[in-house]
Amino acid sequence: MTEAVGRTGRAFAAAARDARAAWRLPATLAAILVLAALLLPLVVTDPLQLQDLSGGLYLALAATGLAFALGLGGMPSLCQGAFMAVGAFTAALLRARTGAGPIESALGGLALTTLAGIGLGAGFVRLGRVQFAVATWLFAWMVALGLAAFPSISGGANGIAIPDSGFGVTWHYELALVLVCLACLAFFAVARGAPGLALSALRQRPAAALALGVRATRLRLGAFVVSAALGGLSGSLSVQLQGIADPTGYGPFLSFKLLVAVVLGGMSTALGAVTGLAALSGLTELSHWIGSLERLSAARFDPMLFAILVLVVLGLGGAGIVPWLRRLFPWMGGRAGRALAATSPTRRRGATLTAEGIRRRFGGLVALDGLELEARPGAIVALIGPNGSGKTTALRILSGTLTPDAGRLELDATPLDGTGIADRVRLGVVRTLQRTAVFEELTALENVLAGAHRRYGSAARTVLATPKARAEDRAQRAAALATLEQVGLEEAAQAPAGTLSASEQRRLMLASALATNPRVLLLDEISAGGTAEDVRKLGAILAGLREDGLSIVLVEHNLRLVRDVASTIIVLDQGRPIATGTAGEVAALPQVQAAYLGRHRL
Amino acid sequence: MSLALQIVVTGLAAGGVYGVVAIAYTLIFRLTGVVHFALGELIALAVFVTLVVAAGTGPVTQTSVGGGRFALALVVGLGACVLAGTATYALAIKPYLDRGSTIGWVAVTVAIAFAIRAILGAAFDRPSYVFPDPFPFRDVGRGGVVTLAGASIQVRAFFVLALAVVLAIVATWVLERTKTGRGLQAIASDAEGAHVVGIPVDRLVAAAFGAVGGLAAIAAIAAAPSAPFDVDTGTLLGVKGLVAAVIVRFATPWRAFAAGLALGLVEAAIASADISGFRLGPEYRDVLPIAVALIVVALQGRRREPELE
Repeated sequence: MTEAVGRTGRAFAAAARDARAAWRLPATLAAILVLAALLLPLVVTDPLQLQDLSGGLYLALAATGLAFALGLGGMPSLCQGAFMAVGAFTAALLRARTGAGPIESALGGLALTTLAGIGLGAGFVRLGRVQFAVATWLFAWMVALGLAAFPSISGGANGIAIPDSGFGVTWHYELALVLVCLACLAFFAVARGAPGLALSALRQRPAAALALGVRATRLRLGAFVVSAALGGLSGSLSVQLQGIADPTGYGPFLSFKLLVAVVLGGMSTALGAVTGLAALSGLTELSHWIGSLERLSAARFDPMLFAILVLVVLGLGGAGIVPWLRRLFPWMGGRAGRALAATSPTRRRGATLTAEGIRRRFGGLVALDGLELEARPGAIVALIGPNGSGKTTALRILSGTLTPDAGRLELDATPLDGTGIADRVRLGVVRTLQRTAVFEELTALENVLAGAHRRYGSAARTVLATPKARAEDRAQRAAALATLEQVGLEEAAQAPAGTLSASEQRRLMLASALATNPRVLLLDEISAGGTAEDVRKLGAILAGLREDGLSIVLVEHNLRLVRDVASTIIVLDQGRPIATGTAGEVAALPQVQAAYLGRHRL
Repeated sequence: MSLALQIVVTGLAAGGVYGVVAIAYTLIFRLTGVVHFALGELIALAVFVTLVVAAGTGPVTQTSVGGGRFALALVVGLGACVLAGTATYALAIKPYLDRGSTIGWVAVTVAIAFAIRAILGAAFDRPSYVFPDPFPFRDVGRGGVVTLAGASIQVRAFFVLALAVVLAIVATWVLERTKTGRGLQAIASDAEGAHVVGIPVDRLVAAAFGAVGGLAAIAAIAAAPSAPFDVDTGTLLGVKGLVAAVIVRFATPWRAFAAGLALGLVEAAIASADISGFRLGPEYRDVLPIAVALIVVALQGRRREPELE
């Protein structure tokens, strides 16, 4: 008991130490700002003004939700307003028809919207971005047309009047403020943590992220459900603030307005949605005021104002207000560059991957026929052959990107049938892609961490920053630095991956793959584009990994590298293995010389 | 029987218009990979510009416009629509396509949709408008309604349906039999390759963007006198056309047209359906087809191959 208390105490002390270390001027400013906002009702006593502010804060909550889908998930959602509608009308009906209390009604709205998010997301998050936009757009219309068509749900032209909760405007204001702050903090934690890193990788290079075992569907679904839930919560609370649920207020235009706010503020930053919405409200008020000078009802021109804002922000290629401010005032970024020490390299352990009689055809073309392969711990199997001989197809089948038409795949005598890419990465089979595909906007260290994501705890633990999650985070970073050392990139740890040279990027890809803690490494032309010196370095790294006991399958064009490191060489020609053996054995065979030099003699 | 015939004819007439709009979405999608979220508003623009030139902004009756003036109005209305479509592509979509920013062009096309709505809403602020009818359909039967096998059907419905079919045929003919059309097909299958062999990709695509909007607008204008309309009519037409195009996954113009016809039929059936005791009603008319389209889209997602390298 006392020991447990002591442990908790130490954990809190460590958390406090970390918080103090990471605390910078922007954090102080933010804290002061939030405190001032909390005390605002003491100054603003006009209930109407306070109601407007609270309504704006609830909208900001929905907008922050949208940022989860848009900025983190990279999904152009056009139905955030529809989620607000679902929350609002569920809460309104619960209040007006069943006499449920305000809190229960809000929770009811939240629950139903979350369910709707799960249901829609299960179908939508696998879609490409275009189809996703279309699907969410149609959903927004379905909700709007449904509300218009069913007065029994929407209350028709009069809407649904909600009995007064007796909570008062100040209560709503404080609640909305707290919820917005929590949502922003959650966004911040997720964006910086493992799920954010994985989603960022997925946005930049989907194929490379998938090859590292990122569970795309699950992560995107998470982001989408959070966005739906925050939209629903916002709707179910704001409708009680307004006292009436007006069906015309929740059309696709609301979804569009929220989209504009998020784009304007900066979709990939925690404060982007709030900032964008504030700026949007300010500009709208300004335009209404100018309109009133000319006796125009300027409100009907809001859509034009929004359109111009979208065109200006996106047209300038801008990421939005917050990233722009951050460039203007770099100290605002306040990235805590905590000093890191590399741990000793991870102990590696290989596994035996066997392939028997693998066959795959694309239409009439037989890409691979009768491939036999055994990758053992501490050995490097090289696949060589002319272009189009089926080497990459073989790796794609081994990694689970392609399913073979026939043949058996086993890892340590366990069949690999029916396992996808992500499953195989977790079992220890990982592949690097043929094309150079690092996550350019992430640092080298973050690239490696994107590979390490799978050992992290859940997103909830990341958000709550539990002591365990933080300890794991530190351990991960140290291990990632060690992996960078192993490929000779420790100096470049904090450099954006896009600034590295081509051959450094190839080694970074290797490091990302190593971070998944693989047992079988599948490398596709890892030496491509390197100088002789680069290739020599790479050879040393591969030899080291072989000594560590990893199983490696190497697809290579550089025959010198193959000769230096490979234990076994398999020569492929037009999908068929034509020779297997050591470098010396294979080079002497006439059919190999024919395949390489061409069948047509002069 | 009589009711069934009525449903079929009116449903097909509405569906013909949806079908032409669906063709427009499909062609644009196949050319550029873009879904034109402002298509319905461009159609509304054409209808309203035609109305203004033909009859001014005052109240109109169906009979008050002469043929010559209407022809002029049609030219101006379609011209405005084609021009707006081309400009949309050149100024608002192309830059984001070049940058590979899906969120960019999605946001911009939706923004343009709402901006056009705002302008039209400000300029035409009566709750609904009557569109003048240049053809003397009202002289056929009883005020333009004939009785066929006990069913009362607007004569206009036949005209709209026939025109829609003609438009679909024209679109296919242009695509398959003309040099421009073959150029467009080349772009649809491989834009870069088309550019290399000397097809003026940008110009053709921009022109096509405008032309398909005009195509859809012709169908909408032909149907416009059948019922009072407002700004929302165009937007809703855009949504319906999108539903039809999505259900057949933007496959081919003919399939999109067929899906549009089917959608019109289904809507008419839902609106007046009492299918073996199972009662639906007009309130389900808009919502149910969208729900079905969403389910179809979701199932498409399940079958999708993992992302390619």
